[in-house]
Amino acid sequence: MTALYSDVLLDHFRHPRNYGSLSAPDISYESFNPLCGDRIRIELKLNDRTVTEARFKGDGCAISTAAASLLTELIRGVSIEQVAALSDDQLIATLQSDIKPARRQCALLPLDALRHGLSERR
Amino acid sequence: MEELFEDIEKLARAEKRVAMATLVATRGTSPKREGAKMWIGEEGRILGSVTIGGCVDARVIAESEQALSSSASRLVEMKLADEDAWEIGFSCAGDLDVLIEPFDLTKSSMLDLYRTVRASVDHGKAAAIATSLNDSLQKLLIVEGGEISGTLGSPELDREARTVALDLMRKRISSIVSLGADSSPVFFEVHGPPPTLIVFGAGHVSMPLVSLAHDLGLRTVVVDGRPRFATRERFPDVDELLIGIPSEIAETMTYTSSTFVVLTAHDYKYDLPVLKVVLPARPAYVGLLGSRRRGKAIKEFLKDGGMDQSLLDQLHVPTGLDIGADTAAEIALSILAEAVAIKSGRTAVSLKERR
Repeated sequence: MTALYSDVLLDHFRHPRNYGSLSAPDISYESFNPLCGDRIRIELKLNDRTVTEARFKGDGCAISTAAASLLTELIRGVSIEQVAALSDDQLIATLQSDIKPARRQCALLPLDALRHGLSERR
Repeated sequence: MEELFEDIEKLARAEKRVAMATLVATRGTSPKREGAKMWIGEEGRILGSVTIGGCVDARVIAESEQALSSSASRLVEMKLADEDAWEIGFSCAGDLDVLIEPFDLTKSSMLDLYRTVRASVDHGKAAAIATSLNDSLQKLLIVEGGEISGTLGSPELDREARTVALDLMRKRISSIVSLGADSSPVFFEVHGPPPTLIVFGAGHVSMPLVSLAHDLGLRTVVVDGRPRFATRERFPDVDELLIGIPSEIAETMTYTSSTFVVLTAHDYKYDLPVLKVVLPARPAYVGLLGSRRRGKAIKEFLKDGGMDQSLLDQLHVPTGLDIGADTAAEIALSILAEAVAIKSGRTAVSLKERR
């Protein structure tokens, strides 16, 4: 039997990177899934138009937690234009797992928070 | 409890001297528990009761007036023979010990003592007043956490009393305990914040759980990340509905010896992060909805994350007593029955079997 989730996904779920809050973040947005209850908040610090710090906090399933953890790693040091251009598939690819259609919304919840946060900033 | 503090403040505004009658011991059965109070003012005001009224209270009033006249405390034993109990309509036949203490409200430190207790309770911390029954002027205040003030006469007695008080606060029981080499009787009067039930998860079991807890006099809080579930319509009796990241909300809450926590989400994404916050805070009860197998997996995950076994042992999973619960309401009853038993230090056997 093949493993359902990759080692990368499981590692980021069990040991999430950049978990926590920032003091006085430039961007903060919380997204949630109204039915399953996953809730993820993304916070960013910007220097000019570059992400200098990224944190997340939330109670979510393995997929959404790992995706949030990987997302914060992806966007640090990146311009907000590049962050805004990040696609769904790019984030899902970092999980290195076969994410079924029904679970894509889990993986994309942190990206939803990020996008809403950026749009509020603009 | 609030009634007691309100009574004291009412008397402080109206009376100069009062007698405080405290039920310190019961033998047989009694309608009120140890710690019940009655206040008799020198000007005639009467507040509270150590029983449910009737002849016993009348005698307490008479004894209190004598205590006020003599300015001396007295411990009064009241025997209720079965016939007397029947005649006066007293529903229970038992013996009562009542401590009656006169106080001058214009200079007594008693007011300060009870105001300190109230402040502690208002901040979510239990407190106990230990009173020597050999000399009721000797009092020691113990606040949950271990801070003490006053004395029972010696540092050794105070240390012993502190240990006893912390245990009684956990069980929320007022009682006489003998202390020291000469077994001096000391009454521990325990006060605490109203018991609170915090439910993580706004699912269908939570609804009767909150309603039943409300009927039992508990303050209730429901936490969920889903606004569609955590609604007033679903939880008409709840005191507080909190929507957000459950573990983050859990971090902001106060957990005391009178806090019950039940996790009903049946979802690891709430259960794991919330348990990481709640178990180290050591509330009176932590119950997790789920099977034994699921509980084992949750515990192993937390243990792998570094949680101490002693904390994991506090977790009640499956939550509830074995009463054959099937419906949501029956499960709620089973959970609350276990929680109350744990808090009271009981094993939850049938009363018929109790020895």
